[in-house]
Amino acid sequence: MEKAKVSGWQLFVLMLLFELGTAIVINPGLDAKKDAWLAVLLGMIIGLLLFVVYFALYRLYPDLSLIGYGKKILGKYAGMSLGILYLFYFLYIAIRDLRDFGELLTASTYIYTPIFVINTIMILSVAFVLWHGIEVLARTGEFFFVILMLVGVVGTSLVLFSGQIDINQLRPILENGWMPIISTLPATTTFPFGEIIVFTMLLPYLNHPRLCLKAGLSAMSISGVLLTWVVAMDIAVLGIYVASRSAFPLLSAIGLIDMAGLFQRLDVAVVLTLIIGGFFKIAIFFYAALISATELFHVKKYTSLIFPLSIIVLLSSMSVASNSVDHIKKGVELVPFHIHLPLQVGVPIILLAIALIRRRMKSH
Amino acid sequence: MNIWNRYKKKMQRNKKKDQDASNENENSIDKNLSVNINKLKQDLGDSSDLVIRHFEMGGEPLVEIAAVYMSGLVDEKNVNEFVSGALNVEASIEKRAQEYRGVNSFDFIKAHAHSVEKVTVVSEWDKLLLAVLSGYTVILVDGYEEAISGDTQGGETRGVTEPSTQLVIRGPKVAFTESLGTNISLVRRYLKSPDLRFETMQVGSISKTDVAVMYMKGIASEKVLREIKKRLTKIEVEDIIDSGYIEQYIQDASFTLFPTIYNSERPDAIVGNLMEGRIAIIVDGTPFVLVAPALFIQFFHTPSDYYQNFVISSFLRLLRVISFTISLLTPSLYIALTTFHPQMIPTPLLISFAAQQEGVPFPLFMEVLIMEFTFEIIREAGLRMPRAVGQAVSIVGGLVLGQAAVQAGIVSATTIIVVALTGIASFAFPSYNMGVAPRILRFSLMIIAGSFGLYGVLMALFILIAHMSSLRSFGTPYLSPFAPFIWSDIKDSIIRQPLWSMITRPRLISQQNVQRQEKGQKPAPPDAVDSNSNKEKGD
Repeated sequence: MEKAKVSGWQLFVLMLLFELGTAIVINPGLDAKKDAWLAVLLGMIIGLLLFVVYFALYRLYPDLSLIGYGKKILGKYAGMSLGILYLFYFLYIAIRDLRDFGELLTASTYIYTPIFVINTIMILSVAFVLWHGIEVLARTGEFFFVILMLVGVVGTSLVLFSGQIDINQLRPILENGWMPIISTLPATTTFPFGEIIVFTMLLPYLNHPRLCLKAGLSAMSISGVLLTWVVAMDIAVLGIYVASRSAFPLLSAIGLIDMAGLFQRLDVAVVLTLIIGGFFKIAIFFYAALISATELFHVKKYTSLIFPLSIIVLLSSMSVASNSVDHIKKGVELVPFHIHLPLQVGVPIILLAIALIRRRMKSH
Repeated sequence: MNIWNRYKKKMQRNKKKDQDASNENENSIDKNLSVNINKLKQDLGDSSDLVIRHFEMGGEPLVEIAAVYMSGLVDEKNVNEFVSGALNVEASIEKRAQEYRGVNSFDFIKAHAHSVEKVTVVSEWDKLLLAVLSGYTVILVDGYEEAISGDTQGGETRGVTEPSTQLVIRGPKVAFTESLGTNISLVRRYLKSPDLRFETMQVGSISKTDVAVMYMKGIASEKVLREIKKRLTKIEVEDIIDSGYIEQYIQDASFTLFPTIYNSERPDAIVGNLMEGRIAIIVDGTPFVLVAPALFIQFFHTPSDYYQNFVISSFLRLLRVISFTISLLTPSLYIALTTFHPQMIPTPLLISFAAQQEGVPFPLFMEVLIMEFTFEIIREAGLRMPRAVGQAVSIVGGLVLGQAAVQAGIVSATTIIVVALTGIASFAFPSYNMGVAPRILRFSLMIIAGSFGLYGVLMALFILIAHMSSLRSFGTPYLSPFAPFIWSDIKDSIIRQPLWSMITRPRLISQQNVQRQEKGQKPAPPDAVDSNSNKEKGD
């Protein structure tokens, strides 16, 4: 743990950037077809409930991170192994996000650039920013939040004014009933909303603990609404068949903008949002992995781990999947059900239950 | 080698010991006047500007007296007044003799020496030397181990003139000078308050430069004040020539291109900063006064922002920040877009770019790099030239390198436009030392843009912003009030709200005495005021 303080507003900004991160470009929930936006909205609501669980744990142990109260609740050895599990989880998701990011960038604009170069530059910048600490990351976030919002507002209004939106593409609502939505719910809940569990590592830095719930819930609901809007907009612009086949629906949707021959082919602006979002997503997961490792292995300063861990993240991001298709397949089939669900939903609920039972037993 | 070094060290030690011993003897004033005079002459190397005036006083026995001063550093009129007042030459001889009887001559002189300021008794030799070298006049009396010094400082200094680096359309046209006393008085004239305090200290073991720390008691943060004084007393150098020396010794981070201490030659700017709770450092011998803590956005403010309509001021501030961004990013964005992302450029424009590029021998990246470098050379060459030669530089720069290069087909016209835009934009923000950052960063950004396109530029921006937000100026985050975001301080940052609505001082600068004016001072026509007061009565 470093000595740092993050304000409620900064936490809100970081969470918002984190939630929008890559999800705004790779739209979640397109398996639910035309009702994808509804799936995202429902995923957000379940995500909010999950955050309440994390918040309840935080209220019980306001000075401790997930690793810290895991040890307190489960005891030394079980807590330690749970901590190592979460360390690998954060590290693995950071690796996956880095690979995702590299794949997206090489597929969209940097066709001739090796993915290794792109990932190296990214991990270098992330390492530089994290070397200055969480406060600097939060301030950088505040700065780029404004830029992201500006790009978003301009992009959305351009889509609206260029007359590409056809609201009939979204109709009829619930064409195939609730089943497709419910079957995609695990995916939309865990990505991106459930990933907020990484903030259990950052909550002890909050300067006013009472702002935690407000910042978290507002960040999640605002990002959820924004994501719902983006998913709906993509389907309304492209139609569900193009949208579900396209690798990056937002890129294709924005690419259709043509206003007065001046504003056209703005897909690079989307890549810009992707870079900003991807940066913060990787940085936050990487930071969580860093401080998990420092807490678990009693390292004095987390900065001494930055270099070895960034090498690990960089090289693993190259070897985590043999190719792009393999990577996406793992991401769709393996990660949500076997990794996200137990670690985002199962473990925290069990931890909370044990903690509450223990507390009650103590008080009796 | 080793033996030699040891020998040398031993010799030096011995020498030092000797010096210390002799210093102890020398550091007192001798009883004998002629011994003192000879020692003074010897210490100052028989300097020709040392003036020694001999007098004799009293009846029986005659007392020998000498007045000593440096001719260029004193005001001769003051010296005459001081000496004649002290020796009371005008009084009649009998009276003098009467008065003199029974009193020792030293006390007699001291009692009469009140025609100038700061009359003190000096008993150590090095203080006497310092007094003489600072422009004081020292009166030595034969038979006494003490001397009387009086402040007769004067000599040639530059008068108060208009500011030459920070020009404003509207506002006071006064600038600081090289004299510390004048500078302090210039600030004092604006703030007739006993709370305006300054503490003077001497920095520099040889130059003994006077440095004054100026602040508003009760408004400035005590913590920052203590920190500034601590850092100032830590400085151990031989000489301080300009406030730039002080700045480099006390700033928070050396390895950054961004200035973390503000400087100004305008008293009104300093007064405004003092009233916001900042602390000014005035250094004798330079018209540039330092202000700390400084924020990034402060370097885009000018004093006249506060003297004119707030809408205009806000617009101008926004314009300056935009021009900063332009001067930082334009060349790299141009390179990145044309070489990596040509699809982003509207087709007609892209065709025109391509047509111009045809026949140009260099890749675009090299072309822009060369032209930017040439621009920097022209700029530096034009800066320090005599005015007559300066014109030649601008002709060569503008005509030969600009127009001719395009006509010869060596560079494309767009490149010239980009370089010119960058150059003009870099002159559009008011602070010279903030201009250094984009000038240097521009080149590294261009190289990154040439290698990795927009992605590289954005990553470089991440690093840049992270670096800037890690900077602190005496504990205040450099990028505040944006990161960390402080809503109450936005009122005077990239925009400026109307004066009557800026109720509080900047929050991060000082937490003391936060409210600076009363609420509800919005000017309104008289009938509106009446109706308001009626309503209040009705309520």
